Amino acid sequence: MTVQAVPLPVAAPPPNRRFRVRPSRIVLNIVLAAIAIFWLVPSIGIAIISLRPNGTFEQSGWWTVLTAPAQLTFSNYQHLLSAGFNAGGVLDSLTTSLAITIPVTILVTVISSLTAYSLVFGRWRGRTTVFLLIVALLVLPLQMALIPVASLYKVVDNATGLHFFGSVIGTIIFHVAFGLPFGIFLMRNFYSGIPHDLLEAGRIDGAGEWTLFRKVVMPIGIPALASLAIFQFIWVWNDLLVALIFLGSSTHITLTMYLYGQTRALANNYYIISTGAVISIIIPLIVFFAFQRYFVRGVLAGAVK
Amino acid sequence: MAGVILDDLTKRYDGGALAVDKLNLDIHDGEFVCLVGPSGCGKTTALRMIAGLEEITSGEVRIGDRVVNNLPPRDRDIAMVFQSYALYPHMSVRDNMAFGLQLRKTPKADIDKAVVEAARILDLERFLDRKPGQLSGGQRQRVALGRAIVREPAVFLMDEPLSNLDAKLRVQTRAEIARMHTRLEATMIYVTHDQVEAMTMGDRIAVINEGVLQQAGTPKELYELPKNRFVAGFIGSPSMNFIDLKVSQDGGVVRLSGEGAEVRPDDTQSALLRDLGQDTVTVGFRPEHLELGALTGPGLSVTVVVDVVEFLGNDELIHGSSAGRDVVAIINADNTLKVGESVTLTTSPRRLHVFNPATGLRITDNGAAAPGVAYRVTTG
Amino acid sequence: MAVAVSTSDSDPVAPEGEILPTTSKPAGGGGFRSHLGSLLFLLPGAVWLLIIVVYPFIATVVRSLYDGSGQNFVGLSNYKAIFSTTDIIVSLKNNVVWVVLFPFLVTFFGLVFAVLTERIRWSTAFKTIVFMPLVFSATAAGLTWASIFFIDPHTGMVNAAIQGVSNAVNPPGLYPVDPTSGQTVSSLAATGVQPGPGGTLESKTTVSAGGTVEMGLIAISPVTLQQNGATTATVPAAASGAITGLVWRDFSPTHPGVRGQVLPDEDGIPGVHLSLVDLTGSSVATTTTASDGTFKFANAGSGDFRVQITANNFQAGFNGIFFLGTQSLTPTSTASPTLQAILSLPIVDIAMIIAYLWIWAGFAMVVIGAGLAALNREVLEAAQIDGASEWQTLRRVTVPMLQPVLVVVFVTMLINVLKIFDIILNMAAPSSQAGAATLAVDIYNEFLSPTGAGLAAALAVVLFILVVPAMLFNLKRIRG
Repeated sequence: MTVQAVPLPVAAPPPNRRFRVRPSRIVLNIVLAAIAIFWLVPSIGIAIISLRPNGTFEQSGWWTVLTAPAQLTFSNYQHLLSAGFNAGGVLDSLTTSLAITIPVTILVTVISSLTAYSLVFGRWRGRTTVFLLIVALLVLPLQMALIPVASLYKVVDNATGLHFFGSVIGTIIFHVAFGLPFGIFLMRNFYSGIPHDLLEAGRIDGAGEWTLFRKVVMPIGIPALASLAIFQFIWVWNDLLVALIFLGSSTHITLTMYLYGQTRALANNYYIISTGAVISIIIPLIVFFAFQRYFVRGVLAGAVK
Repeated sequence: MAGVILDDLTKRYDGGALAVDKLNLDIHDGEFVCLVGPSGCGKTTALRMIAGLEEITSGEVRIGDRVVNNLPPRDRDIAMVFQSYALYPHMSVRDNMAFGLQLRKTPKADIDKAVVEAARILDLERFLDRKPGQLSGGQRQRVALGRAIVREPAVFLMDEPLSNLDAKLRVQTRAEIARMHTRLEATMIYVTHDQVEAMTMGDRIAVINEGVLQQAGTPKELYELPKNRFVAGFIGSPSMNFIDLKVSQDGGVVRLSGEGAEVRPDDTQSALLRDLGQDTVTVGFRPEHLELGALTGPGLSVTVVVDVVEFLGNDELIHGSSAGRDVVAIINADNTLKVGESVTLTTSPRRLHVFNPATGLRITDNGAAAPGVAYRVTTG
Repeated sequence: MAVAVSTSDSDPVAPEGEILPTTSKPAGGGGFRSHLGSLLFLLPGAVWLLIIVVYPFIATVVRSLYDGSGQNFVGLSNYKAIFSTTDIIVSLKNNVVWVVLFPFLVTFFGLVFAVLTERIRWSTAFKTIVFMPLVFSATAAGLTWASIFFIDPHTGMVNAAIQGVSNAVNPPGLYPVDPTSGQTVSSLAATGVQPGPGGTLESKTTVSAGGTVEMGLIAISPVTLQQNGATTATVPAAASGAITGLVWRDFSPTHPGVRGQVLPDEDGIPGVHLSLVDLTGSSVATTTTASDGTFKFANAGSGDFRVQITANNFQAGFNGIFFLGTQSLTPTSTASPTLQAILSLPIVDIAMIIAYLWIWAGFAMVVIGAGLAALNREVLEAAQIDGASEWQTLRRVTVPMLQPVLVVVFVTMLINVLKIFDIILNMAAPSSQAGAATLAVDIYNEFLSPTGAGLAAALAVVLFILVVPAMLFNLKRIRG
């Protein structure tokens, strides 16, 4: 076989493939756009309802605003916020929600990290069994604990004069307990990926467990911590049942209770409901958009809760 | 069975990066051709364009006598074996192999026959009802091969199928594939970065670097007559040594000289070098062609200080340096060389490869090639 | 020539699954100190869980065997009550509805969205939009969707849309007769008219050119008449060659019992569409009444005719469907109460499921999308080469390979839906609360009632038992 140097023949240019976007792709984009619009409509609707004057809700649909945008006003917000921080008002409920959510988030993240550390790097037998117990607890309905815990609170309150039932503290304690299984699960899975050698080196150098936890494991675990914190925050912020049980008779209620309370009062006070709903969504929405990546990761890991 | 012709095959990515640059290759019916080159050279991209998994920017792929550029993979009559085997994890071995035929609505009896036969050839009969997850790497590889065989395609495409196997399995499976090729008389295009694989398996090899075909030919051709410095350095292990030498003419006698090395060309070489008008050339010579001793006639002589001596059994591998350049030699182990020793190594003119330092193209034997010419392999 | 093959079938593949700790005895220094240290770390979490989760769990089981006051041991009678009280059976039925419909639908939509978004450039934006409702509380979402499903077509989006379509197809008449309230067209006939074919009213007597016809109707709202611009009825004058007449409201406020005469304080009925119908029943002319109720068919032609008040005058408008009510979608109105409890499918359940899908489809989409992205591309390419079309690849390779992810999503949603609570409280209309309730709602209600603690505990235990299969599934999955 010979290898010949052959001058290049001038080849004809390849046929122009201009319209590579097939018709099915255009249809797909249209269909998905329609779905996206459908998904946005409820949120947009409730926002617009909150911006319409009191009394318009019963008369005409919010979509009529598109032809009469001038009617939009912040009057509902002014109305609600003018109640200030009086108990039962929207601002007071917002602070109550914060007063519950923030401590729960902090406690769950810290305790979950500690427990997960023990489960992964601890040197005691039975770690697997304990972990499996935690996995079992993941799906335990909190209804299983409501009555005894409520009774427990009442007993303690009567005996010591403290105020657990009907208080923010009692609610926090309950929320933490039911946030721990998921938190421990998440952190433990993350910590499993940290090589033991890292800690062995530290131990050989003489570091104690607390130092190892604080200086080695926790810093590495920050992404998972962030995911857990955000997930936990939104979960507790949006809770209704636990709040109703433990704060049902309290003067200070959470935002979800506030909203729920509105339906019981009047049939057609949607100008309050919509405004309250928007206010209740703002903080989770900010958290979501600021930390979207972490939230999604938390959700992915939480495909068990 | 069919041949494959690549005609100015080009792949340009959206950013402008050129992955494959006007690849011309003529693969004959029943031939085993290896595409070989360093990682990222475009060989896998070229293979995927043949398969239809990658859009062709320009140029043509012909399978048989059809231009297949606009055909989807399933209409090209090809089968492919992937580096990761790409078996269907939820299907049994039997179903993995039968899938393609089922899609083509082949009668069940024919499917069963083909699957059983392929399983017999590859010794997979006892695994037919297992899932890929229950098999070892080597077994999965054989299933991937079986899946391809069953389709009886015009062309087999293989993308580094041995890379994920351990060394021992690799050697064994290499032989199996070679036997498969002989048995089926199939056209096979095989991509690998391992030049040993290419040399041992291919009827012909196409060496590719940075998207450009460097040389295509039989293993012997590539070994003995590399067209350029890249091919010369890529083929052969340990790789070829290169030294830059000055060309001097002393009253009609051409000499190549440099520090610690000297070449006395033979008559044909002298003639070419005289007409060349270069003042430096790159001389290449393979470690296995070096001998101890002084130069007695035309040829290369290089003085080397020994750095490392590796005992190979019958031979010794010598790492040394000559005036700052690294030189590797393989000589008979009976010569027990010591570190620090200075030795003279020689080789005959026949074993010399002379390259133009600027273009990298081979000078001797074929003469200087004109620029801008593609290397097209023609029948002959 | 046979191909000899290696028989060194070494290295079985490591099974996939969650990583369990492989080192039960970690090496290195430490000793008792580090033992203690890491055990101490366990303490806060362990204590918290024991007090608030483990002990109450046992306590609830025990409590369920006592009556409402907690003093008397009643064994399993709470549980018997659960399965024999109609209201609770209704709740169980609703749980079944949710469990049967929701996990499947949400997984299905999640899969569809995950697959479709792979092919568009703006997939991140789409995913964000569909995922966002997860951030809403079920309370806020329930209230939002309640407003969407409001019965009044002026306010509720869905009913507004239906009304738009309905009015276009069947425009309502000026004098709608609402069959759901028991009204019929024939009940409007007072004087000189009788029911005609197809929901019309026809003049009792025939009339010919030059003649007059007076048609009196009752049960027409004076408000409607006023809105349509009615004036006092005028007795029609005859016109030769034409047929004239009057359609009026045969009701006088001053003489309520008198029929058949056109009294001075009775109003004409304007805007009524009339058809001049010959004796074969076909229409030869049409006209509409004036504001005083009079009408005229000019050039009536020869022969006898009847004047027909056409059915479109009485076409009822669309008044809205009560989506948030417990109207059953299955035909159970004739069944016994218990059977109804079990077999009826309240429409509000469907509305709530739609709302809940709006919240959770994003979750399914993101999880399945992650699974999809993790698939080995080369397997899909192998399918392409084997000859599979896009649809075949999806059905026979992609989806089967996604099966583990799909199951995880399904089970997670199943657990979620067994405990469904917030959305029912906030979306079902107050009158539907009982009919739409689920176990979790019942538990809450019993908790609130002073004598319901025992029953609430039993219900909680039942809920737990329902969740156990999922618990075992998770354990199995994580053990690998």
